[in-house]
Amino acid sequence: MSSIPQIPAEQAFPAPRRQETVVMGNQSYLGVLLRLIGTELYKIRRRLMSKVLSIVAIVIMIGFFGIISIGSIFVLASPEATFLPPPCTSNIPVGTPCLDHSPTQAELDQARERALDSISSPLRLPNSLGTALQTASVAGLILIIILTGTIVGGECSVGTVRLMFTRGPTRTQFFLSKIGALLACIALGVIILVPVGILTGALLNLFTGISVDFSFFTAAWLLHNMLKLLIVMLGLFMYAMLALCLSTLGRATAAGVAGALVWWGLETVLGGILVLIGSSIGSSNPGSLANFIKAIPDYFISNSIGALSQNQDHYINPASQASSISDLQAIITLVVYLAVFIGVAWWVNQKRDVTN
Amino acid sequence: MDDISPQYDGTTIISTSRLTKAFGKLVAVNDLELQVMRGDVFGFLGPNGSGKTTTIRMLLGLIRPTAGRAILFGMDNTDQLPAILRRIGAIVETPVFYPYLSGLDNLRVIAAGSGMVSGKSNDRRIAEVLDIVELRAYEKLAYRKYSLGMKQRLGIAAALLTDPELVLLDEPTNGLDPAGVIEIRRLIKRLSSLGKTIFLSSHILYEVQQVCNRVAILKKGNLLKQGNVAELLASSQQVEVRMNRDEETNYALHLIQQAQERGADWIANAHIEQNKQGQGILIIDAPIDRSAEINALLARQNLFAAEIHPRAGSLEDLYLEVTMQGAAPGGYPGMEALAGSPTPPVVPTVPGAAHGAQIANSASEIPGSGK
Repeated sequence: MSSIPQIPAEQAFPAPRRQETVVMGNQSYLGVLLRLIGTELYKIRRRLMSKVLSIVAIVIMIGFFGIISIGSIFVLASPEATFLPPPCTSNIPVGTPCLDHSPTQAELDQARERALDSISSPLRLPNSLGTALQTASVAGLILIIILTGTIVGGECSVGTVRLMFTRGPTRTQFFLSKIGALLACIALGVIILVPVGILTGALLNLFTGISVDFSFFTAAWLLHNMLKLLIVMLGLFMYAMLALCLSTLGRATAAGVAGALVWWGLETVLGGILVLIGSSIGSSNPGSLANFIKAIPDYFISNSIGALSQNQDHYINPASQASSISDLQAIITLVVYLAVFIGVAWWVNQKRDVTN
Repeated sequence: MDDISPQYDGTTIISTSRLTKAFGKLVAVNDLELQVMRGDVFGFLGPNGSGKTTTIRMLLGLIRPTAGRAILFGMDNTDQLPAILRRIGAIVETPVFYPYLSGLDNLRVIAAGSGMVSGKSNDRRIAEVLDIVELRAYEKLAYRKYSLGMKQRLGIAAALLTDPELVLLDEPTNGLDPAGVIEIRRLIKRLSSLGKTIFLSSHILYEVQQVCNRVAILKKGNLLKQGNVAELLASSQQVEVRMNRDEETNYALHLIQQAQERGADWIANAHIEQNKQGQGILIIDAPIDRSAEINALLARQNLFAAEIHPRAGSLEDLYLEVTMQGAAPGGYPGMEALAGSPTPPVVPTVPGAAHGAQIANSASEIPGSGK
C-alpha cells in the first residue's frame, strides 16, 4: 500500500467526463429520489400484473354497485302489496305497524317508493360515496398487498435488487422510491376507483327514477369526506407497508402477500375472539384483566382505521355513533405501526448483504 | 496483448487494505490487498469458491466487509459509495433484469437508476450500447425471451451505459458462443484503448492472458499472486531439451543440477517429463534467453541436444502452479474447469525442491499468502 503513488484525490479523480450522448440528470438527493420513483412507476405501468389488478379493482367496484342494484330491480319487479305492512290481526304483536283497511293505489305506490328509496340509497350520493370508499378499502387492500409484495419481494427473488444497488442511488433512496411509488399507486387507485363507483351508482340509480337531493352538499360534508378519502388511503398504505416489511424480511413476494393477508384476516378473527374472552372473563370476574383483553383489538390496524372513519361519519352526522376509540389514540397507534414496519424494513435493507 | 495500450498513469483506481469477509466461520476473503491502476485490464482469477465474487460484491457495496476497507477512485466505499458507483459499470455474476420489460426498457430503467435523465433523452446512448453488444435488433423483445448469451450481452450493455471509468465484469463470457467470446475480447481491448480500467473476473485463463496486463490469483480467499502478466509469465519460462537417449537426458539433468549448485542462480529448477512418445524430456526452469548457455554447458561434456527450444509460460501453467501447491490436480472443486487441459505428468527430480516452490520468489510475491 505504501508504494502507491499518492496523488490528491481531486487531482487524480476529477469529475468523470462522459460521452456527449450520455445525458446525466439532476444528482441532488431529491432529484435522484424523484427519478427513482418515476422509474418504479414506469416498471409498475409496464407490468401485465398491474394492468390485471387495475381491471380487477374496477370490475369489483362496478360489480358491487351492480349487486346493490339487483335489490332495486327486485323491488321494481315485485307486486306493490309486498311492501305494505301486514294486515292487523290478533297474531300481530302490539306496537307493530299493521294495515287495518284495504290499501289504496296511492298507499301501494308510496310503500313501493319507500322500499325502493331505502334499498337504492347506496347507489346515490351521499351514500354512494360511502359505498365506493368501503369497496375501495376492501378490494384495494388485497390488490395493494399483492402489488407491494410483487414490487418489493420480486426485486429480491428475481435478483434485480443487485442490479439496482450497483447503479449509484443509496439503498435508502431505493427504499424510499418503493414507498413513494406505492403512495402514488394508492392515491391514484383510490382517486380513480371512487369516482368509478359513484358514477356506476348514479347510472344504475337512473333505473329507480329517484332523483338526488344535493342538500347534503356543504363545506363540512366535503371536508369530512375528503378526510374519509384520506383515511381509506391511509388504511391501504398501512397494509402496503406491512407487506413491504414482510417482503423485505422474507426476500420474496409470497412472504409479503401471504403475511399481510394473514395479518389482516387474523385481526378480524382475533379481535372477535379477544372481545369474547374478555366478556366471558368480565361476566364472572369483572376487573382489569377482562378490560385489558377487550381493549387489545382497539390497537389493531383495521380497528384504528375503522375508528377514524366512523368518527368522521359522526362529525358529518351527529346522530350516528362515534367510535369508542378516539382519533388521537387511533392515529398514535397507526404511527407506531408505521414506524415499526418502515423502520424494520429500512434497517434490514440497509444492513443486509446482497447475495444470491 | 500487443494491441492493448493501457493508459496507465500510476493512479490507483482500486485499492483494498486487509479486506476480509467471513460468513460465520467461513472466511471467504482474507486480508486481501489488491491494487488496480488506471488503464489496467486486470484479471481476477481463482477457482470456484475462491472469493472472487465476494470481493467484487464488497467493492460494489453489495456486501459489507468483516474487516479492512476498499478505496475506489480515492474514496472509501463505506461512506462514499454512491459517488463511486456513478463511475462504475458492473456485471455481477449472471446479469439479471426485469423479465417483463424489453431489453430497451430495461436499459431505460437502468439509465434512470444510474443518474441519467429518465425518459427517451438517453435513447441515443442506449442505441449505442445496444449496437456495441449487437442487440439492437432484439431491443423490443422481452428480456425473459432472451437467450443466455443475449442476457450476458445486455448485462455488458448496461455496464457501459453511463460510459464509466471502471468496468467491472464478473464472468462476462458465461453463456456466450465462441464468436461472442471473441467479440467480448475485442470489446475489452477497445474499452481499454479508450482509457477505461477493466476489472475482469474469469475462469477462462486463455481469455485473461489475451486481454489482461495485470492479474491477481486468489485461492480460498487468499491472494496468492498479483502482478504484471508479462513479468509473472517470465518467471515461469522454461527451456525444453530433448536428447537422443534417456541416459543422456539423465546425465544432462545431473549437469544442470551441478551448475545450479555451483552458483548458476538463473536456473530455478530442472526435472524430466515424459513426452507423448514416452521419451524423457529435460525441462529447465530458466529464462529462455539462456538457451544458448544451456546448450554450451551440455556440449562441453560432449552432450549434444537433439532439440532445444524455449517453452513460453502460459497463464494456465502459472495458475496451476500457484493454486495447486500442496494439492493434486483437480484436488478441489472447480479446478478441472479452470485448468482447461490436463497437466502433463511431472517427474520431480531435484531433491527438496518441489516444482512450484520457486514461484514464490518471482514477480510480486504476497507476504503471508497461502495461509
